Formats: sequence, C-alpha cells, structure tokens
Amino acid sequence: MSISNERFEFVRQGAKERDDVEIVHYELQYPLGSRQEKRVVRFVSGLFLLSGLASVVFVACYIWWPFTNFPAVTGWEYEPGNSWMKGYTPILGLTLGIALAAFGFAVLVWGKKLLPHEIVLQDRHDGASDPAERKLTGSTLQFMGEEMGLSRRPLLKVALLAPAGGLGLAAAALPIGMLMKDPHHPDVFLHTGWDPQANGGKFVHLVREDGETKIRPEDISIGGQITAFPGIPGGTTNKHADSPVLLIRLRQNDAEALRANIEKGYPINRGGMAGDLVAYSKICTHAGCPASLYEQQSNRLLCPCHQSQFLITDNARPIFGPATRRLPMLPIVVDEEGFLVATSDFNGIPVGPAFWEKPEA
Amino acid sequence: MVSRSPSRIRRRAIAALRMLAALVLAGGIYALVSPGAQANAPGSLSAAAEEGKALYNNYCITCHGNNAQGVEGRGPSLIGVGSAAVEFQVETGRMPATAQGAQIDRKPPQLNSDQARQLGQYIQELGGGPQVPFSGERSPTQGNIAHGGELFRINCSSCHAFSAGGGALSSGKFAPPLNESTDRQLYAAMLTGPQNMPVFGDNQLSPQDKFDVIAYVQNLNTDNDPGGWGLGRFGPTTEGVAIFLFGMVVLGFAALWIAGKS
Repeated sequence: MSISNERFEFVRQGAKERDDVEIVHYELQYPLGSRQEKRVVRFVSGLFLLSGLASVVFVACYIWWPFTNFPAVTGWEYEPGNSWMKGYTPILGLTLGIALAAFGFAVLVWGKKLLPHEIVLQDRHDGASDPAERKLTGSTLQFMGEEMGLSRRPLLKVALLAPAGGLGLAAAALPIGMLMKDPHHPDVFLHTGWDPQANGGKFVHLVREDGETKIRPEDISIGGQITAFPGIPGGTTNKHADSPVLLIRLRQNDAEALRANIEKGYPINRGGMAGDLVAYSKICTHAGCPASLYEQQSNRLLCPCHQSQFLITDNARPIFGPATRRLPMLPIVVDEEGFLVATSDFNGIPVGPAFWEKPEA
Repeated sequence: MVSRSPSRIRRRAIAALRMLAALVLAGGIYALVSPGAQANAPGSLSAAAEEGKALYNNYCITCHGNNAQGVEGRGPSLIGVGSAAVEFQVETGRMPATAQGAQIDRKPPQLNSDQARQLGQYIQELGGGPQVPFSGERSPTQGNIAHGGELFRINCSSCHAFSAGGGALSSGKFAPPLNESTDRQLYAAMLTGPQNMPVFGDNQLSPQDKFDVIAYVQNLNTDNDPGGWGLGRFGPTTEGVAIFLFGMVVLGFAALWIAGKS
C-alpha cells in the first residue's frame, strides 16, 4: 500500500471536526499493483509520451519545415501550385492539436480511472452569521473610515473631487465624442474629391484606377460600367475613399426612361447625364459598402453587404433592402478635349450613410 | 480636215484607254481594300457558316426565329451579337436553353466546340458583332498576373468574389464561379457581357488587359486550397461558420460523453 493509512485517518478526522465534511465512502477502483491498474497507468503514460512527442515535432516543424522556397528566390514569396510548403500550416495545427488532445485525454483518464471513488457529505449552514461577528466586521470598517480622517481633513476631501471628476469626464469623453461630427472639419461629410472649388474652380476629370488615365465617353460599351475616381492628387487613395463613382452606359431606351424619371420625379439630377452615360456614387447609403454589383439587363445596382438594390433607371431609387436613400448622381459633361468631367459635387447631396445633420434630399 | 481625222481618232482612243486604265486601277484598289464584299452579299455564306446555318435551323430556330431575328417573348434577336457571344453561350452549355428562368445556367454542352464556332460564324456573317481575336482555346500570350489581379479586384470581384467563387445577385440571379471557364470563354464573356454581366469592350479593357485578367483567374483556378477544403472559396464567414458548427457539435458530444461517464 503506497497510500498511508495514518495520513488518510488524519485528513478524514480533520475534515470532519474542522469543516463538518464527512467521508462516508472511499474505495479504490483497482487493487493497488493489480494488472488492471498497470494497464491504465501504461495507457496514461503512453498518452503523455504521445503529447510530448507531438510537441517536439511541432517545434521541429516550426523551425525546419519549408514554408517558402527561401533562399531559392529572393524574398519571402508564396509559390502557387502543389508543394511541401502548402503543408506548413496544417502540420503545425495537426501536431499541436495532437499534443494538446493527448495531454487533455491523459489527465481525464487519470482522474476517472486511477483516482479512488469517494462520497463526502457536508451539512449546509443555516441562517446568517453570528451577530457578534457581524458587529465586529461593521465596526472594523467604520474604524478604517475614521482612520483616513476625511471628516477632520476637509482639504483632502475637496482635493479628491478633482481626480474623481476629471477621470469621470475622461471616461465619458470617448462615447460622447463619437456622437459628434468631426469638429475640426465641419463640412467633411458634405464635400468629396469632386468639389470644383477645391480644384481651383476647374471641373474635376473622371479618371481610372491608376489616378491618371482620363476617361472618354467611348471607353465604355453599351451595358458596360467603369469605376471612376476624381482626377485630383490623391484621388484614388483612402483620403478620398468617399468619392468613387460607377460610370454606366445605358441602352438608349433605358437612358430615355431615366431622363423621363429625372424630369418627372427628381429634378435635382436634371442635366446630370452625358448622353447615355450616368454616374452614381459607389458608396451605399445604408452602411457605406461599395454598391457596385451592376446588373446590365435588369438595370439594378446591388450592395453586397445587406442586399440593398437600387434602380438605375429611376435615379438609383432603393427598391429592396435596408437602404432608404437614393445613390447621389454625379453630374457629368464632356469637356472640349473630349474627356468626362464632373460639373458639381453630387449637386450638394452628401454621399454615403445617414448622419445627424444630413440634409434631406 | 482629212489630215486631222486620224489624230482625232487617236486622241479618242488614248482617252478611252486612259479611262479604262483608271477604271481598272480604281476597281483593283477597291477589290483589294474592301473587306470581304462578297461575304456580306445576301445568300452567299462561307462553308463554315453554311454548316452553322444547318445547326441553327436544328437547335436555335424555335426561340430565335428565322434568320436569327428573334421571337417575341421567347428569344431575342441575334443580329449584331457577334460570334463571341454565340460561342460563349453554346460552349458553356447555356444554349440551347432548356427553360426560361431567372438565369440560364452552365451545363454540359450539347454541341461541340467546332459546331459552336460554325454557329458563331453563321451569326457573324448575318449581322456582325464582337469576335474573339484568337483561334485556340488558350490565350495566345501569357498575361501579367499581378496587373490582371488589380483589374480583377476593381472590375470583377464585386460580383464574382475575390476568389472567383461567384456570388448572389438579385431575384435568383447569380454571378457564376469561374473555375470551369477556359481562356476563350473568359475572353468572350468580358467582350460580350452575357446575361446580366456588364460589357468590357476593348476601349475599357484592351486585349492585353483581358489576357492579364485571364492569367489571374486561371492562376486562382490552378491554385489549390491550403488546408484542404475551400468551402466554395466564399471566404472567412463560411470558414468561421463551418468551424463553429463543427466545433460546437464535437464539444457538445464531448460534454455528453464526460457527463455520461461520471
């Protein structure tokens, strides 16, 4: 017997007298030194060994498994196709997974098979604590307050208000500040990169994604679309991420329908089309995703984030989904050199999702 | 008078000869530079187009009508769609269509590639239109994958997804995955804009730009999925949902097993 009877009796007695815990049943699962016990011990030890082995393999793979063909090529380049490198991440996950699982399983089996079965009882205490003890605790707390002596030292009391108030204000600054629009640029939501005034009074060219190539009307086929950026310095960067538009060439009858709808219901877009070309803001009015899924037969623009749909032939009116506002139309004309320019900054309508001071349009 | 008469005859003869020479020259130049004048003449199709016409009258005429002029409510006119559109629709099995629907889907083609090209030639000679400018199935030049990737992300990825795995559109329509497409089909699709896809003409994406995009898409297609299963290559959301569902089920059973044993 490796478990000392003397120590067991001592623990049992102590638990009973000090903590009111009584061990009523205590039984070893296997006789100590029996064949069954040795089998379980071997199993658990095997799991531990497996866990250790897998950990070592993990470290070895981490260091030596080729995950790039460095230094065969200069730099850390990813190589397409089948190769050993593709196994790098899976082998790391596999080895670490085996190590952790084997360790966890071993601990589980140890607890369930090798530890004795025992049943212990403990009485539940009734009611509140002893009145004398409660009084002592209360008096201790009050005494600590008196020791600090705030009532006798009014300067300290007043001085404490400063960090209390200051830190409280600091904690409130973030949530309250997020509710305010940018105080330093009061019109940041109202202007985009297309604003002619910011461009020295000149109309801004529509350019391609390289930021240089100006777009001509004939660049877009019927039923085609092109993403256009403002031709200003930094026009394709995140600084003007609110500016991209989708430039679309409609079929003749669809363009006629759009012109009729502009006259009929939305005169602010009057004169905004260049022939059969129309440009709408690419920023969804719901949550600001790029609404650039263009269906050329059904004349719809879709937003991939929340499935809003806009009808191109009716001033990009939302016809499905959570968006409630139209996509603003960028008024475009062809300048004397044959390039497309924007004559105004979306007619003053702010792009993108709603905000508190957004003008109704 | 008598002495002048031979010279007058000669002058007239010379003038007539000049006239003849000028006519021959002009006609010859016209014949040289005029593009296939006889091909456009009605009733005279090339051999391939004649084969195509026979196929058309078997497979297409029910919906697209006599001489590809369309049938109201059944099929559109094919005048001017070009051979590129015909080859794309037939080679990907979308045409002949089995039924009208939100979108005509890709399926195993009924006609082989040669027949598709004969049909395309017939429609081309009927009404012209965009043509794929190379003859093989593969791009004639290897495109620049990096540049193609830039073009793909700005022009294609909004619908076809960054992985070319496709995505949903409105009312049952969808952008298909691009993993089965050949170079030629990709080129034809960009050039003609089948169904609800926008048209990317040569002024917007030059032929070299198109080869770059094709190189990028085919590179995506040959790349295998690190980790084994691509889950449709729909991205982190699908992967997260899959690992969550799988992990939760496993954990649930593990908890049941542990509880049941004690």
